[in-house]
Amino acid sequence: MTTTELAAAEIPAHVPLHLVQNYDLWAEIAAAGVDGYQRAAAIHQETPPIFYVPRLGYLPGAWVPRRAEDLRRILQDTDTFCNAAIPFAQMLGENWQLIPLEIDPPHHAKYRALVNALFSPKRVEELAQSVRDHAAQLIDRFAARGYADFNEDFANWYPTLIFLRLMRWPTEEAATFVRWTHTMTKSMDMQEVAGAVMQVRDYLRARIAERRKTPGDDFTGYLISSQVDGRPLTDDEVFGFCFLVFLGGLDTVASSLGLHFMHLARNPEQQADLRAHPEKIPQAVEELLRAYSIVNMRRVVTRDVQFGDAPMRAGDFVLISTELGNLDPEVFASPAQVDFNRPDASLHMAFAYGPHRCVGSHLARRELAIAIELWLKKIPPFRMADKPIQLRTGGVFSVDGLRLEWDPVPGGAA
Amino acid sequence: MKILVKTDACVGHAQCHRAAPTLFPLDDSGYNTLAEVIQVPPGQEEAARRGVRACPERILTIVEDEAPASP
Repeated sequence: MTTTELAAAEIPAHVPLHLVQNYDLWAEIAAAGVDGYQRAAAIHQETPPIFYVPRLGYLPGAWVPRRAEDLRRILQDTDTFCNAAIPFAQMLGENWQLIPLEIDPPHHAKYRALVNALFSPKRVEELAQSVRDHAAQLIDRFAARGYADFNEDFANWYPTLIFLRLMRWPTEEAATFVRWTHTMTKSMDMQEVAGAVMQVRDYLRARIAERRKTPGDDFTGYLISSQVDGRPLTDDEVFGFCFLVFLGGLDTVASSLGLHFMHLARNPEQQADLRAHPEKIPQAVEELLRAYSIVNMRRVVTRDVQFGDAPMRAGDFVLISTELGNLDPEVFASPAQVDFNRPDASLHMAFAYGPHRCVGSHLARRELAIAIELWLKKIPPFRMADKPIQLRTGGVFSVDGLRLEWDPVPGGAA
Repeated sequence: MKILVKTDACVGHAQCHRAAPTLFPLDDSGYNTLAEVIQVPPGQEEAARRGVRACPERILTIVEDEAPASP
């Protein structure tokens, strides 16, 4: 039974009707609210391995493979399933690309190599102390108050401050960046979204121009002095890198944090377990990333291909729904259950599979683990306030309206 | 025991390294591309299996030593 059936959706003629689920997958999951991920897990019991949905929000219909194995094969085969452009450049009538995300192999590797070194596990380790400092300062602002509006007081700021630190841009710009990110990812008004994209573009372009004039060893300076195919990067390429790091690092970390902290607030015994055993936090983060995956992206089919039971045609869209892949009962036993001792949690695809694996995954893991560690250290047991919250679905899933509360400790804890 | 690594299919999840850092060293990019065959020192078989199981791309294969031929 579904709550969001579509009235009379158009199904392309080559799609067999028995493979159609007549709902918008995103609306279907969002309608279940805080239990959205339970709803997503149940979809595995109701659907063929690859089904077709006639619509996804404002996007057209797409194939939806729900098995992790199929999703892995698709993401590893970038010849047959190429990256569908994110329409930010088109929205402005421009033609730069997000690098390296929107470039597929064989050209992908040489661009990717440039940023891999900046986000390797070793480099992330060097950033850990400043990540810790930013988290601690934010928490200290509200610890004694007894509550926090999670996104507004913490989650939106934390990755933004780390991004600015990484780029070596002034942290005083954080409020401006938080506003831009919020508009770009949450606004339903395309004019407003385009306006924010333009402001971010102008800011990044100005910083790049500045670095061209005055060389420096920051992120932009590194890209400006780098080469591909024996030539320096163009301004569009440097911009493509910077814009992707901006897009990829801010909203995704904030959104994951919201879902993870909602879980800890709703499950006091697991919260207590991590308080007593902070050494379990990295493993808990893997399980939370698995159970609350947030990213949905699309691939375009490049040639007619029979994939399992699905007769795909060139030009069809394929949804990569990381939450479905990570709730696949063939890989994860009792997938809807969050179990911090699950031995194989790190097989999850929260950061995707294949050559486009999230380049920031190691930094993201660190940020998430440090956030939980310092919250549990500085804040007494916290719970959800009696306030409605909303699950948002789409390209990045998130929760809105999450307020956490606790019995304040006079003078602040720790 | 040894481990075969499809180095050209490594995309840098680094979960093998997380499970067994000394058995699975990473290159400067954070990828497991330093050797296509990793010899597992005696006593580290269990760590090796953990590292292989942790690979989300499934590009690591265990090759058990053949039992010594009987004389």
